[in-house]
Amino acid sequence: MENVIECRNLTHYYGKRLIYEDLSFNVPRGRILGLLGKNGTGKTTTINILSGFLQPRSGECYILGEKIGQMNPLTRRRIGLLIEGHVQYQFMTIEQIERFYSAFYPEWKREAYYELMSRLKVAPHQKINRMSCGQRSQVALGLILAQDPEVLVLDDFSLGLDPGYRRLFVDYLREYAKAENKTVFLTSHIIQDMERLVDDCIIMDYGRILIQMPVEELLGKFRRYTGSVGDGFNPHFDATIYNPAVLRSTLEAYSMEDEQSVRAKLTAAGVQDIVAERVSLEDAFIGLTGKY
Amino acid sequence: MIQAIFYKERIKTFWYSLLALLTSVGFAGYCMLRVWRVCELKGVEHLWIVMMQKDVIFVDMLQFVPLFIGLALAVVQFEPEMQRKSFKLTLHLPIRATKALCAMLLYGVAVLLVVFLPAIALMWGYLHTVLAPELWQHILLTTVPWYLAGIATYLLTAWVSLEPTWSRRIVDAIMSLMLIRLFFLTTTPEAYNGFLPHLTVLTAAFSLLSMLSLTRFRDGRQD
Repeated sequence: MENVIECRNLTHYYGKRLIYEDLSFNVPRGRILGLLGKNGTGKTTTINILSGFLQPRSGECYILGEKIGQMNPLTRRRIGLLIEGHVQYQFMTIEQIERFYSAFYPEWKREAYYELMSRLKVAPHQKINRMSCGQRSQVALGLILAQDPEVLVLDDFSLGLDPGYRRLFVDYLREYAKAENKTVFLTSHIIQDMERLVDDCIIMDYGRILIQMPVEELLGKFRRYTGSVGDGFNPHFDATIYNPAVLRSTLEAYSMEDEQSVRAKLTAAGVQDIVAERVSLEDAFIGLTGKY
Repeated sequence: MIQAIFYKERIKTFWYSLLALLTSVGFAGYCMLRVWRVCELKGVEHLWIVMMQKDVIFVDMLQFVPLFIGLALAVVQFEPEMQRKSFKLTLHLPIRATKALCAMLLYGVAVLLVVFLPAIALMWGYLHTVLAPELWQHILLTTVPWYLAGIATYLLTAWVSLEPTWSRRIVDAIMSLMLIRLFFLTTTPEAYNGFLPHLTVLTAAFSLLSMLSLTRFRDGRQD
């Protein structure tokens, strides 16, 4: 499948602090890929590199086959960008911002924007700086829908949104992306939203990618194991068992290995009454990255 | 697309532009009122004598008006772009970033010309009816560096405003102050006459400084 976004061997530092090294990933056409990571793992850094607002220390990224930084400005017509916090021109009204952007996009879909705006119950001459964060998110989404880009890059789309607006955003975006075969690269700190939205996920830890795979595959394989352990149990397992921790004589650990093999390892270590459970994406994220 | 950029800039600056026009014309009008009062009370001959013997130009209070107008215009125009880094939105438009920035600066300079030229026209309109050409040219030529300083201050403030890091902003602001000082080295009327072409070129060159800030912004420079 054709890769719409390709990043190869990205390395970036802020000052002397390493953000990540040799980070490589691809986003195939028509897929929605979510980048998950704790605060400070480099999600926004990656979005900034992809948007051309940050020069990585080394490595290169391509969107739609063009190297970012040397991209033809007209190619940006095919890329929709949502900046963290749904940033838009605060000094414009709903009407003005639509009029402004429409001049840049020959295929501008005015009706898509106004359809979403009609749900907001705000006057067309209302300024964006007088809107709630939720309403601003809908303005930003409406503008992206009207632009109708091939690729969408969305930075922390759930920031500041209440559950209703988050759900509205996710449902609208997923339906649109799937119906129109759009490629989406996004980040969010609310992982429940990602589970409803993304096809593939990259889970990042400090400085590296932990996994990159379809969400369905991850949730199909990933299990949480709990079991009883004696006092003073000191969990030491191989790398296939993630973040084992003991709380009040109960061991909790996570793994993607097949269940039989994990049970054998836990039993050999002295764990009893082992229970294996399927988990949500959020639990899988916690299982992989740890709680701290 | 350039027209759309102008449209965006107009939304940001419309009310300020009107205020700046009123201020500019208002100050120039007040200066002319003072000249008219001298003419009415002591006669035009007295005005000529004072101008020639004491080198009085009657428009001294205009000296820093264009500077403050230019400074405020740049703040009104560029600070909204830097709030929550919404300048990124401008840079993501399907137009070359340098072209977009040039359009923004061109708009600002055009606004300043619209604000300054009526004031100059007002002064010329009245002065040429009461003064000999040498005398009204003497006054207007003395004001030219002040108006150039207004444009220069606008361009330098744009440079400072678009700079992404605060530490560098402070350095740029100090350098800007020193550069603006060049326009106010002396209060002697027409002292800058021989230097005006150089001052004009220097002012135009200040527009290039914003490109440095643009490059630093796109490179993702942070404090």
